[in-house]
Amino acid sequence: MTAFFALLRRDLLVAARNAVPLLMATLTQPVLVVLVFGNILPRLHLVASEFRTVMVPGLMSITMLMAGVQGVLIPLSIDLGGSREVDERLLAPISVLGVSIQKVVAGAIHAGTAGTLALPAMMLLMHQVAGVEVHPRWELLVPLVVLSGLLSAAFGLTLGTQVQPRYSGLLFAVVLGPLMLFGCAYYPWMGLAVLGPVKYLFLLNPLVFMSEAMRMSVTPDVPHMPAPLLLGGLLAFTALFVFLGTRAFARRTIL
Amino acid sequence: MTISPALVVEKLVKTYAAKGKAPAVEAVRELSFSVEPGECFGLLGPNGAGKSTTLGCITTLVRPSSGRILVDGIDVVKRPLEARRRIAVVPQTRNLDRDLSVREVLTFHGRYFGLPPEERESRADRLMAELQIADKAAAKPATLSGGMQQRVMIARALMHDPRVLLLDEPTTGLDPQARRLLWETLQGLHRRGLTIILTTHYMEEADRLCQRLAIVDHGRILTHDTPANLKKSLPGGAILDLWARTPRPLTPLLIGLSGVVRAEKVESPDVADGTERLRLFVNAGDGLLDRVLSAVREAGADLDHVSLLAPSLEDVYIHLTGKELRE
Repeated sequence: MTAFFALLRRDLLVAARNAVPLLMATLTQPVLVVLVFGNILPRLHLVASEFRTVMVPGLMSITMLMAGVQGVLIPLSIDLGGSREVDERLLAPISVLGVSIQKVVAGAIHAGTAGTLALPAMMLLMHQVAGVEVHPRWELLVPLVVLSGLLSAAFGLTLGTQVQPRYSGLLFAVVLGPLMLFGCAYYPWMGLAVLGPVKYLFLLNPLVFMSEAMRMSVTPDVPHMPAPLLLGGLLAFTALFVFLGTRAFARRTIL
Repeated sequence: MTISPALVVEKLVKTYAAKGKAPAVEAVRELSFSVEPGECFGLLGPNGAGKSTTLGCITTLVRPSSGRILVDGIDVVKRPLEARRRIAVVPQTRNLDRDLSVREVLTFHGRYFGLPPEERESRADRLMAELQIADKAAAKPATLSGGMQQRVMIARALMHDPRVLLLDEPTTGLDPQARRLLWETLQGLHRRGLTIILTTHYMEEADRLCQRLAIVDHGRILTHDTPANLKKSLPGGAILDLWARTPRPLTPLLIGLSGVVRAEKVESPDVADGTERLRLFVNAGDGLLDRVLSAVREAGADLDHVSLLAPSLEDVYIHLTGKELRE
């Protein structure tokens, strides 16, 4: 465990030193979306005011997904790149599984921090606007942010070990883009009843469970997915991506 | 009481599985050797001989297909974590953590191995002083020269006080001055009793640093012994290196001469078409040179170059493999 925490400490130190660019990379998107859809458009009466309340938890989940994926994917491409910096970690007295789990934990801390910071940042931009019903329930929010962070980082590990770095641009456009649009970030899953059975197709998207988890803990007045389904989905996707990611990591690193 | 070897490699086999269109590669085929504590042992061979794979297996980063490796009596496959505490690696590619300073590279390595804070700091100070990198403590590794980065990697490797230091082609790509400095560093470590295993394709390096060396080609050890014994193993007492433009093969003519123990044709990219390069293992003196030169002339050949040499490791290598060892 000594090596595990030492590696984690190293990652957090490096992240803290790069805090400004890292925060810019993860917070720009939600802040600008809120500015346009939460502030400007409602004032022009082009968007229903309820949309602002719906959007807040969704943008938190998007922020966490992006931060978690980037927090693992980018360091991983350096680690597995030409100079093989990862060997220094693999030569430490820690198992290969330990090294990959540590990467997920570091990414989850990154994602959780970004998601938690996104909430006050968004509220600050909408403070002049009436009708935003955000009432965080911290006792739910904290564990669900942790779980969503782990899910995002494990997803990042899976993508980073399977997709070559030169395709990462494509990854963001083709995989993460659609996930975000169909991730129930901008509309509640319960509202999809209008689509009939198609709403169950949305359950293939891990982001849906993260968005609904944030909805449950940040905007309790908006209807959300039943808690058992939501928790089950988060846990199942986390387990799946941890399994796929750590397995692929071991295959990529030990020849 | 016998002292157990620092490293035992027994019938090591590593076959990389076929990948897509690429066929399976037998990188190491039944390779065995052992290294005594305090010894400096070299693996000498051309690129692709299996040296780096062997080192990878010893350092637990490559999984052997079969065979056994013991470091200090510990099986590296069965107990990799314990094995890693006893070994340290200076890899071929410079893989210093680019986000940390030189000092942090060392202290974090110490942290990974659970060194207490005071020991971590004092050891980092001592190693930076020894390896002459103390003035670069705050620098980022990427800003340092290749030789300097190499020394940081050695300092990092020594942070957890390993029993065995493994270096994979440590001087490849270094300028002559940096290379000499690195040799001195390694000789100093060796004098203090550290077991060192290095791979190289520089004869001079192997001759200078290693007490024993194994010549490796195609995943097998062709021979292993002290550099002096390897040179003694060559037939005859001297080498005649001969280049001639010749209308017909010279080997059959020269091999019959008295004093010529063996004649070998050398394949080398420097040798032009129509020219033969031969290495004759000879007992020099007694008019040998005259006999060789007249035989060459009688064959209608033009002699380009001839030199009489004391046998070197390179000759041993050419004798064993029939080709030059070069980058």
